[in-house]
Amino acid sequence: MGNLIKAEMRKIVTTKSWWALLIPAFFASLLFALGWGAFTNSLANVLDSEDTLTVTRTLGIETGELPMGLLAIGHGINVGLLFAVILGVLAVAGEYSKKTITTTFLTAPNRPMALGAKMITYSIWGALYGLAVSAAASLGIAFVVDGARMPSSGQWLAVIGTSLLAGVLATLFGVGVGALWKSVAGSVVTLSIYMLLIENVWVFISYGLWQENVAWMGGVLPNGTLNGIVGAIGAEAFGAAGVRIPGLQDEAVWGLQFSAGAPGAFSWWASALIFFGWTMVVFVGGWLVNQKRDIT
Amino acid sequence: MHDGSGRIAVQNLTKQFGTVPAVQNLSFAVEPGSVTGFLGPNGAGKTTTLRMLLGLVTPTSGAATINGRPYTQLGNPARVVGSVLENEGFHAKRTARNHLRVYAAAIGVPDQRVDEMLGLVGLASAADRPAGGYSLGMRQRLSLATALLGDPQVLVLDEPSNGLDPEGIAWLRGFLQSFAKQGRTVLVSSHLLSEVEQMIDQVVIVSAGMTRYYGPLEQLRASQQSRVLVQPADANALVTALREAGVGEVQPAHDGRVAVANANVQQIGDAAAKAGVAVYGMEEEKADLEQLFFQMTSPQYAGGPLPPQQPVPQQPVPQQPVPPQQQPPGPPQQPPGPPPGFQQGPQPGQPQNPYQAPGYQQPGQQGQQGWGGGQ
Ligand SMILES: Nc1ncnc2c1ncn2[C@@H]1O[C@H](COP(=O)(O)OP(=O)(O)O)[C@@H](O)[C@H]1O
Ligand SMILES: [Mg+2]
Repeated sequence: MGNLIKAEMRKIVTTKSWWALLIPAFFASLLFALGWGAFTNSLANVLDSEDTLTVTRTLGIETGELPMGLLAIGHGINVGLLFAVILGVLAVAGEYSKKTITTTFLTAPNRPMALGAKMITYSIWGALYGLAVSAAASLGIAFVVDGARMPSSGQWLAVIGTSLLAGVLATLFGVGVGALWKSVAGSVVTLSIYMLLIENVWVFISYGLWQENVAWMGGVLPNGTLNGIVGAIGAEAFGAAGVRIPGLQDEAVWGLQFSAGAPGAFSWWASALIFFGWTMVVFVGGWLVNQKRDIT
Repeated sequence: MHDGSGRIAVQNLTKQFGTVPAVQNLSFAVEPGSVTGFLGPNGAGKTTTLRMLLGLVTPTSGAATINGRPYTQLGNPARVVGSVLENEGFHAKRTARNHLRVYAAAIGVPDQRVDEMLGLVGLASAADRPAGGYSLGMRQRLSLATALLGDPQVLVLDEPSNGLDPEGIAWLRGFLQSFAKQGRTVLVSSHLLSEVEQMIDQVVIVSAGMTRYYGPLEQLRASQQSRVLVQPADANALVTALREAGVGEVQPAHDGRVAVANANVQQIGDAAAKAGVAVYGMEEEKADLEQLFFQMTSPQYAGGPLPPQQPVPQQPVPQQPVPPQQQPPGPPQQPPGPPPGFQQGPQPGQPQNPYQAPGYQQPGQQGQQGWGGGQ
């Protein structure tokens, strides 16, 4: 297995995909953290003052010192992680499109080991992407969020940690999708449209239609749970995820979660678990399909 | 683990792609120490068979084993079997050296083996160019270098001469023959008999997914009747004379000559002399393997019985493939050691390494350098 992991590492570093995706990931996170940071910095005014008071009182923080930076950092990271998903897609689907999968399977003891080596290797790369995008998002909020509204160092560490975890899982999710559906273009386009648009629109519309009855929707779908891993840290700081603050209106809770890029998120670990479930679904599916697939 | 015999056994192998019967009940065995040609026209099922042998395609039924084991049970398979496949991919942006380094890592051979193989196939001077810019022939060389990384005991090649220049083909012939002489196994497919005729000892001929002939090439050659073309003064008189003397069988010939099968020049000359027929010339017509191959594989014979004089169509197979489980355990043969010079890297001082492939032609410069390896 060590040999195969070394081979996978060499595959990645001998082509430019890893940095061709890391650079846009970094800047997407930076830009979204900048934009969302500027927006959330003034979110307190948008929020119902009654809610704001409830939140601040319960959390014991002064008005105007809400850690708005947390909402933005989560959003920035979540956008950047889409590129980690794409990197993952290249792991197997990329090999099918270049036809190198033949030699990869021929030089591995068996297909499960070839895929297992990819899983381990891409986990490491996913963590690296998680680290890079959390650094980019941190940089972004540092520019636009008032010092008093920046996350505490504990919160910031939690964000970095969950970002690493989300990076790993996001990449593995991509590996699974690419293994299941060997088309790079098909997987990347579909995943991008789904994660950027379809699921968000659906969650938003369904919330508009059925309100809190479907508030959980974003907390169980793939994009929502991936975003929830980091986003819930921000939302939790406001009492909008995990520990529920009494009196906080449901709409406001959802709004806060939405601002953190994680509408409906339960808590970071619940999001991580559910998203891990999604990852396993596609990964096991991809695994099974590749066991039988004829390489012609 | 595998038995180290270097033996390939294909047993009742069948593959159906949807409604397309790509391979039907194919059986043959390939023994070490010889080069076996796997011949058949396009679409005969050669590639599908080889891919089933290599574990890339799952057979509908039947089994294919190497060293008594399916490919996926060989342990580190690339150390046992090297394969050069049609339509094999390289990442267009990855250099040849990096491509080989990737798979050297996967197989677990040291990186220096990469340089050795680049030198061996004559790609040393192009090693740091992206494979996307390679010509077809250079890609074939790179495929061969990849196949040889693990110093395998068995080599499987699918149409390896595609895209190779005549020099490259000649080199490949010599290479495969010396590889087999070391007691290793070579199975090489082609749709052209003439292309591999000079390098193979054994032959498996397939058409429309079925075996048409399987055995030594020599036997195939011997089985073909040779004819004598006679130029007589009076053709009718000669035919009558031959008939009366009971010599050979007269066959239709088109150019005024008389074609006589199953008789030699002496017998015909004697019969003609006895009957007083003048003979101006006789020519022995050699068995035309290509024509025989064409007959065996041409569509009108597909599926139907072959003409009676055909050598060994379906069953009279000289060597019956032994199912792996019936094979006597036998002392596991030592894997042959590295051939002399085979593992040696390109030595700057000796570019005339006998195993050295002629290098690809350097575009627009140092034309006579030509022989790769020596930088
Ligand atoms: N993946 C596939 N799907 C459907 N048909 C296939 C596939 N691969 C090969 N075939 C068919 O199987 C037959 C044998 O093909 P192949 O093994 O490539 O022949 P050869 O290598 O002798 O030219 C052909 O009719 C071909 O069209
Ligand atoms: Mg073919």
